[in-house]
Amino acid sequence: MRVPILSLIAWMPFVGALLIMFTARRSPLAVRLIAAITTGISTVLSLWVYAAYDRDAALTTGFQFYEKLALVPPLGINYELGVDGISILMVLLTSIIIFAGVFASWTVATRSQEFYALLLALVTGVYGVFVSLDMFVFFLFYELAVLPMYLLIGIWGSSGEVRPRGIFAWAYRETGVGSKEYAAMKLTLYLLFGSAFILVGIFALYVAAGTASFSFLDLEAASFDPALQRWVFLAFYVGFGILAGIWPLHTWSPDGHASAPTAVSMLHAGVLMKLGAYGVVRVGMGLLPSGATELAWLVGGIACINVVYGALSAMAQVDLKYVIAYSSVSHMGLVMLGAATLTEAGLNGSVFQMFAHGVMTGLFFALVGLVYEKAHSREIFRMGGFGRVMPGIATAFTIAGLSSLGLPGTSGFVAEILTFMGAWRSDHRWWLVPAVAGTFLTAVYVLRVAKQIFWGPPSPHFHHLEDARGPEWVALVILVGVLVLFGFLPGVALVPVDTATVPLLSRILQP
Amino acid sequence: MIAAPYLLELGVGALMLAVFVVGVLGRRPVGILATAGVFVLTAAALALAPSGSALGGMFVQDGLAIFVKRVFLAATAIGLLSGLGSPDRAMARRSTEYHLLLLASLLGMLVLASARDLILLFLAFELMSIPLYVLTGFAKREPEAVEASLKFFLVGSVSSAVIAYGLSFVYGATGSTSLGAIAKAPASPLLTLGLVAALAGLAFKIAAFPFHMWVPDAYEAGPAPFVAWLSVAPKAAGFVTLFRVYFEGVGDRAAVWAPAAAALATVTMLGGNLMALPQTNTKRLLAYSGIAQIGYMLVGMAAASASGTAMILFYLVAYVFGNMGAFLVVEAVARSEGSEATSAFRGLAQRSPLLALSMLLFLLSLGGIPFVAGFWAKLYVFWAAAERGLYWLVLVGAVLTVVALFYYLLVARSMYIEAPARMSRVPVTPALALSVLLCVLGVVFLGVYPKAVVMAALRVATPLF
Repeated sequence: MRVPILSLIAWMPFVGALLIMFTARRSPLAVRLIAAITTGISTVLSLWVYAAYDRDAALTTGFQFYEKLALVPPLGINYELGVDGISILMVLLTSIIIFAGVFASWTVATRSQEFYALLLALVTGVYGVFVSLDMFVFFLFYELAVLPMYLLIGIWGSSGEVRPRGIFAWAYRETGVGSKEYAAMKLTLYLLFGSAFILVGIFALYVAAGTASFSFLDLEAASFDPALQRWVFLAFYVGFGILAGIWPLHTWSPDGHASAPTAVSMLHAGVLMKLGAYGVVRVGMGLLPSGATELAWLVGGIACINVVYGALSAMAQVDLKYVIAYSSVSHMGLVMLGAATLTEAGLNGSVFQMFAHGVMTGLFFALVGLVYEKAHSREIFRMGGFGRVMPGIATAFTIAGLSSLGLPGTSGFVAEILTFMGAWRSDHRWWLVPAVAGTFLTAVYVLRVAKQIFWGPPSPHFHHLEDARGPEWVALVILVGVLVLFGFLPGVALVPVDTATVPLLSRILQP
Repeated sequence: MIAAPYLLELGVGALMLAVFVVGVLGRRPVGILATAGVFVLTAAALALAPSGSALGGMFVQDGLAIFVKRVFLAATAIGLLSGLGSPDRAMARRSTEYHLLLLASLLGMLVLASARDLILLFLAFELMSIPLYVLTGFAKREPEAVEASLKFFLVGSVSSAVIAYGLSFVYGATGSTSLGAIAKAPASPLLTLGLVAALAGLAFKIAAFPFHMWVPDAYEAGPAPFVAWLSVAPKAAGFVTLFRVYFEGVGDRAAVWAPAAAALATVTMLGGNLMALPQTNTKRLLAYSGIAQIGYMLVGMAAASASGTAMILFYLVAYVFGNMGAFLVVEAVARSEGSEATSAFRGLAQRSPLLALSMLLFLLSLGGIPFVAGFWAKLYVFWAAAERGLYWLVLVGAVLTVVALFYYLLVARSMYIEAPARMSRVPVTPALALSVLLCVLGVVFLGVYPKAVVMAALRVATPLF
């Protein structure tokens, strides 16, 4: 019997969560070790899958590492897993982020047992979404990835310290905008609102295909009526798009990410938003080619707004975590833009951007978490000169920032150049303008923040601060290393991705 | 499997007699006797096999009847169990009265599930309803209880009158009281008018919007173990009546009721969920959320198909465990804190982690979250509606689920995120703990393995069409 390696990757964190709940009640160190070991196993396995993925056969065989187990045969629900070039990259991203995240949140003190258990349960959901081929199981994992977030943010999050002024102050008093409870509720409701659309879309396809199967492969083989495709694609776009932070449904994301504890922000901005984009590409475009072609203008147009609006919003923030959170909104716009171009370069750029931005934003949030923990502040203009006292963190932040604005030699550059090429070759050349403008604006806000906090004149208040320590270094080194490695060797990621995007495009473009 | 048509009804009758005799002799063991008796009857119901019709077709013991009788009995067993050892003084003093009334109502439900004749149906309906009015006002020295009871009684009587009025038209149009004959009768305006009137009356009983106004007051005022039961068992009985009158044997004409059910479902889901939002009393919150749940069941009704009916049956089972469990936890907290406000749950996760976890499971089940029973329930009714192309209804329902999660999560937030006012454990009587445990088991089992119950529901619902 073959080893069900994808199941092992996906369920390992869940096993860790159970172990933590039942065995490590009194020992915080054991909690962390169990978390590190189980996510470590998943990471090693996903690296192995990444290496063993057969790039040459991929164009003919489709999904690899295939597993299938009948769950509810009369309804056509199967536990069906498989990966292609896009999903192996996403699985790898998830592994990197969660493994680093476990180390980055080593110092969580209150109720750490529950924290790690919930975090690991959530990771199982994320892995599950990326590897499942059965739409129903996909949906189950999706919900599993969204729900623990409520408690994770609500209990361990931090409320924004910069109080809003003017009319926003009134809104704050009325609703609690900016507090962690508000952010947790908002995030959960937005994402579940999205999942309502996804559920309807899945049902519509299930009924319309008439094959009594939820399998992605069966649905892919069925051909749907163009009118149906249009509205179902729209449902998927709205549903997954909320998770991907599409304007104007993105507002949960800055609040949520800014309020979440470090590892959760890393995971959410780094991976969960990708899950939305992945859903649009895999489910929306993969199953509904003509719907995707017809509505590409909408996806791309909204993505352009995302890029520019997100960047402008990031410029206006004074809370460091909000800057990063809005930059995610902006970069997710680039991801969606690349996908909307419906060109090989654009789609590759989109997938690569998911990966690059995931690692980059994970690094950003890890750093912000470290800075906050040491300086107890997130307010940009109250901090300064940290470069002297924490050179390691400062260097890592600068590298992440340079990747964010697309400096050659970092993976951000590869992603952006591919997206730009895609935009140029697409039917809507003008998309290039907002995309490039977004990159420019990114440079403005990233460099501004880096200069103010790390490279400005040192402030006497902060002489006693320390650089990153022990486990925290593990997180930083992994993330920076990946960011640079994939910048210099983009082919490592692009070759497998290409094996998945080319067949996808040929399906979309040839009706 | 045993086939004995009147076993359960006779059993409940005998139990009532025993409770009466024991109650006259001395009060103590009445509750235990009634609870044990209902548990035995539940076990008997699980072993029961369909035995066809009796009394010239008035009374039928088919799969549907047995399915819902199991639901009634299980709900009653849990409800009675949770009331044992309750510190409520009125309950302790008038225990015989309480149990007799509850069993009488149960008897009404059991007969109702089997009634295939308008007269028997109406009779059973009233036997079920009248004890409910009395029990709602059980705390007769409290003005709220009397008010709620009176409100419930008036609304209930009016709805009974409307049902009777409608059914008289049905009889006038068809010349028969047998539901079998009525189903076969040719359509006529008078028949439709009668059935529409009866539908409005039945909507009162299942508390569909806008016929729901008795619910929150009744739930708030009644004794909690009774309310937990009231929130589920009579609803199930109402749905069985709907199936019997509107679906059974009418074939394609069942689809006539789809638009009405869809409209009712939409307004009930909307009304229930939106009115639940501002509630700060958990019992009222659960009352309005219960109305919304009825709306989701009506989505299955709108499908007007065998799968829709089956999914409602499954929903009812899931609802019994989820909703009763939630009410019982509220009761446990209210006994300890003396308050039913949401704020009484503050920090419960740190005071009594297991109780908080149970409540979380119940709330998630009511909210329709995977791996607990309610998820499959919602999913299946939506599925049934999607099969009939009612995508808009599914979308409305699914989006309103998000609204519902908001108020469920507010309770979860109190329990898990807010800090407790004091750290002492919430004391729970063993009987209450056991009944909560039963509900947890039900919710989790159905969440992980819904197949057996779904298949059973499909089996009993298919012959109706």
